[in-house]
Amino acid sequence: MKFTLNWLKQYIDSGLTPAALADRLTMAGLEVDAVETLCHDIDDIVVARVMSVAPHPNADKLTVCQVTAGDGDSRQVVCGAPNVRAGLVTAIALPGVTMPGGFKIKPAKLRGEKSDGMLCSAKELGIGDAHAGIIELPDDLPIGSPLAEVLSLKDIMVEVDLTPNRADCASVLGIGREVGGFVGKRMTPPVSGPLPELVGGDLPFTVEVQAGDDCPRYAARLIRGVKIGPSPWWLKRLLLAVGLRPINNVVDVTNLVMLEYGQPLHAFDFGKLAGGRIVVRKARAGERIVTLDDVERELDPETLVICDADKPAAVAGVMGGRDSQVDDATVDILLESAYFEPVGIRRAARRLNMNSDSSYRFERGVDPQGIPFALERAVRLILETAGGAVVDGGFDLCGDLPQPQELTLRVHRANDLLGMTFTAEAICALLNGIEIPAVNRDAGTVVVTVPTFRVDLDREIDLIEEIARLHGYNEIPSTLPTVPMRFPETDGARSLRKRLTTQLTGMGCSEAINYSFVTPRHFDLLGLAADDPARKVVPLLNPLSEEQSVMRSHLLPGLLENLRRNINHQQTDVRLFEIGKVFHHQDLHTQPVEVMELAVVMSGRRHPGASRLHHGEALVDIYDAKGLVDSVLADLRLAGTVCAELDTAAPPYVVAEASVRLVAAGKTVGRFGQFETAMLKRFGIKQDAFFVALDLDALAGMLAAPKVFAPLPKFPAVQWDIALVVDEGVGGGEMLAAIADGFDPLIRHAEIFDVYRGKNIESGRKSVAIAVTYRAEDRTLDDETVGGVHHRIIEMMQNRFGARLRDA
Amino acid sequence: MEEDLLRLKEEAVAALAASGKDELEPFRVKYLGRKGLFTSVMRQLGQASAEDRPRLGKLANDIKQELELSFAARLEELGGGKTGGGPRLDLTLPGRTEPCGRPHPVTQVMEEVCGIFEGLGFTVAEGPDVETDFYNFEALNIPPHHPARDMHDTFYVSDALLLRTHTSPMQIRAMTEQQPPLRMIAPGKVYRCDSDITHTPMFHQVEGFLVDRKVSFADLKGVLSVFIAKMFHHDTAIRFRPSFFPFTEPSAEVDIGCVICGGKGCRVCKQTGWLEILGAGMIDPAVFAKVGYDSEQYSGFAFGLGIERIAMLKYGITDIRLYYENDLRFLSQF
Repeated sequence: MKFTLNWLKQYIDSGLTPAALADRLTMAGLEVDAVETLCHDIDDIVVARVMSVAPHPNADKLTVCQVTAGDGDSRQVVCGAPNVRAGLVTAIALPGVTMPGGFKIKPAKLRGEKSDGMLCSAKELGIGDAHAGIIELPDDLPIGSPLAEVLSLKDIMVEVDLTPNRADCASVLGIGREVGGFVGKRMTPPVSGPLPELVGGDLPFTVEVQAGDDCPRYAARLIRGVKIGPSPWWLKRLLLAVGLRPINNVVDVTNLVMLEYGQPLHAFDFGKLAGGRIVVRKARAGERIVTLDDVERELDPETLVICDADKPAAVAGVMGGRDSQVDDATVDILLESAYFEPVGIRRAARRLNMNSDSSYRFERGVDPQGIPFALERAVRLILETAGGAVVDGGFDLCGDLPQPQELTLRVHRANDLLGMTFTAEAICALLNGIEIPAVNRDAGTVVVTVPTFRVDLDREIDLIEEIARLHGYNEIPSTLPTVPMRFPETDGARSLRKRLTTQLTGMGCSEAINYSFVTPRHFDLLGLAADDPARKVVPLLNPLSEEQSVMRSHLLPGLLENLRRNINHQQTDVRLFEIGKVFHHQDLHTQPVEVMELAVVMSGRRHPGASRLHHGEALVDIYDAKGLVDSVLADLRLAGTVCAELDTAAPPYVVAEASVRLVAAGKTVGRFGQFETAMLKRFGIKQDAFFVALDLDALAGMLAAPKVFAPLPKFPAVQWDIALVVDEGVGGGEMLAAIADGFDPLIRHAEIFDVYRGKNIESGRKSVAIAVTYRAEDRTLDDETVGGVHHRIIEMMQNRFGARLRDA
Repeated sequence: MEEDLLRLKEEAVAALAASGKDELEPFRVKYLGRKGLFTSVMRQLGQASAEDRPRLGKLANDIKQELELSFAARLEELGGGKTGGGPRLDLTLPGRTEPCGRPHPVTQVMEEVCGIFEGLGFTVAEGPDVETDFYNFEALNIPPHHPARDMHDTFYVSDALLLRTHTSPMQIRAMTEQQPPLRMIAPGKVYRCDSDITHTPMFHQVEGFLVDRKVSFADLKGVLSVFIAKMFHHDTAIRFRPSFFPFTEPSAEVDIGCVICGGKGCRVCKQTGWLEILGAGMIDPAVFAKVGYDSEQYSGFAFGLGIERIAMLKYGITDIRLYYENDLRFLSQF
């Protein structure tokens, strides 16, 4: 909602500076978004009169004018405007003046003729759209006086960001009422006193409301013999100041009154209304209308329309029809002021995808009692600006209208909820300040009669908010609630995520957050089969773009895009992780299954950000991914075991021989592996990359192993090494497991410290060197005992893995 | 045996004296190493008679210690020291680091916000991102076709399902399951179809609420004042101004004195000296009615704040889109 301070001043003089007024409005809940000084860049433009006009000797389209600008002798100015004529009062920019666009006027010669200044169009001055000719001003303006001053262009525009509940303030008068509240004055509306009675009867037109529920009040009057033309300056100025385009005197008046009263009005060209009839009804199936924006629209039987004897002439409360609009040839005007049911208007505006200043106000609720006042105001202004005569009487058909409501307010209730100690008298005074009648029935009760312009007040709590607002939120004290002491329960899944974040950042990974919605193209890039369950995604009905049109069912594509972005910006050593939800579609009426997952991508050097001096250029490989998984799982101390199994059916985006599934209790809880090169290329990535993915909901469901102390060993351990030559197909990890997992109670630990291929090892075989640590709880081990176990290990290795002891 | 030892000593002393810098290491290996001459002589100790053994043992040790001292002295003399074999230390070189990654700035601020409220005894609860119209709107007193729906540019999945536009649905979910007193915060992702330099279609919010007997607007002011003092600075200016949310009444927007210009007026605060950081209010009786609470018995307040905005103010981030590009040059700054 925009207005200007001069405009507001017509109804109430706040006596406040613009800044103070803006602050008071904001603190009253009418948030001021902008305060702009208007026309401050045309201070130097003055009023001038064209004395004589002669053709330019060297140019057909130019004229040589003698102009007086009140500063002594007349001056010669060359002008190209078609409307320049002797006697015209217009605006001139004298030499030395800078135009709003930054152009500086200098004495010049145009095609050989001296030109001492520039006559200006409204557009050049930034005060209108008209640019076909120079501005035409009233004859009686003092020549030589500053234009901005004599046209009262100097003003300040204020824009208020209205909350949806304050329909009443979508009007300058509504704002004035609020201002009255905080400066302790009453505003003076432009129309007061008794209004003409509009009781129908013998009139040149008829109004019939067939849809009374949707249109409980419809008032109309007829003005005959108007002369359509441009609006007077004061009217254009107000509309321009608040961003509306002046159209003609009649339309401009309806717009002005809408802004003034908050009551949208519509002017029909009476001559274009078939049968001189107005019928308010629901549209019939298949009916069409071309609206004022030149769009042909199909109507549906839910939409309320204003019709003439034959056809719809306007979409009620939303937009007028082109065929009944007021134009230059219009002589008779039928003026409408009505109340339309808010929800109906809102639905119609949504269905037709048409939002107008009118629908904005109707869907929030206009004041049903303000309708005749707005109509009277518009009639008077039209007579003033467009002439003509109003036909006596008119229609004002009232049905079941919202009535002033009586509400009871308990003083203690208000005080309890606000933490205040208001008296009933104080409450009444606050409400009366903004024209809400309130009386204290007794010390504990206030009876409030809610005026119909306050559509937002219909419960006690609404009045309590009003009291708080009028008193000022900042005048309410701050206290702390007294609540029972209670320990907030902690959410295990949340703690798990926090822990993982700490751990992963400690391992050099930075956290990424990607949008939950992605492009379905991701699945093609990943190379997923047409029937892959991940393709069953939750779609959005109204995505911003195809790129963000489905809820993600995978975290990895987002991270791959992040990887590409970083590589493209010369960050080639990347470790990123994301913890977030993926969404598994069920059906369009059931909420999807939301699963919290963790995904990590690693690419580039093994020690990103660390000195190459110490770490060299080594690149990450699959063992980094595996190590990350091992560390993360070890740190979680899960009670159950998570096994890593070579994936027999690797997903298409993973290198088949480097794809590992993590399994707990028979269920896949994650995987890690190397991304498939062709897939990476599809994502625009040209370097190797590895990933880890974990289902955090599954991990959160696994209990943490209790921490139990074991006494420290009393006797020393000994370490014996073995080097075994085995076939390439034998897994080193399997050999370790065969030793470490219960082979002999003296074995405490086994570790591979070297895998060797080459000289002295036959091809297709490798030497695996294992360090075995032995310890007994009750004695120091001797060589004989250790040797015994050691030999049994070798025998077992020979039998199980076809190993041979490597020559020393 | 004793002679062997003495002879070896004499030989070693002479060899040491004759050693240049490059011969020191071979000397050490030959005489003092694990497989060196001294070690082999000392291995023979076991063959000595029992009464001689202690004396010979001591002698051998003494000689060896003496030689080791002489070796160290000679090493130093020839300009070696312990690292004599290698280059000099250069401690101006970088250390051997394993740099850490960083949590996302949104996560950092989110945790800070949650931490403050957890300190005040609030429980943290999370809910689904894909919500029903009932929880996101209807139960929060936003019926279909209410103009307040314009305040939420909603992504829809179907007539019944949408992406939550705020984390306020957790209020309803919690209140339908539990009885007061309640103190809870709900952090999470929220979605609005709006995208420009100051809006991303997904952002993070923390919604909080407290319900008990006799909770007042003054209590709301107190709790939020504590939060702001902890989150920003203990003397950050705060103001509450009237606003509108369908699920609270009275409703408020909370502004803090601009952290960039200190309230003098700048581009960030649009010259007002104030920054809007959260919305709040007393829970509307209509919401209590939806969850079956008696609003004559209980009252409560709720508030919601956007994490990205707070992070922007705290860290001076100027473009909200940076949050979701996950550029390491951005992430590593926090």
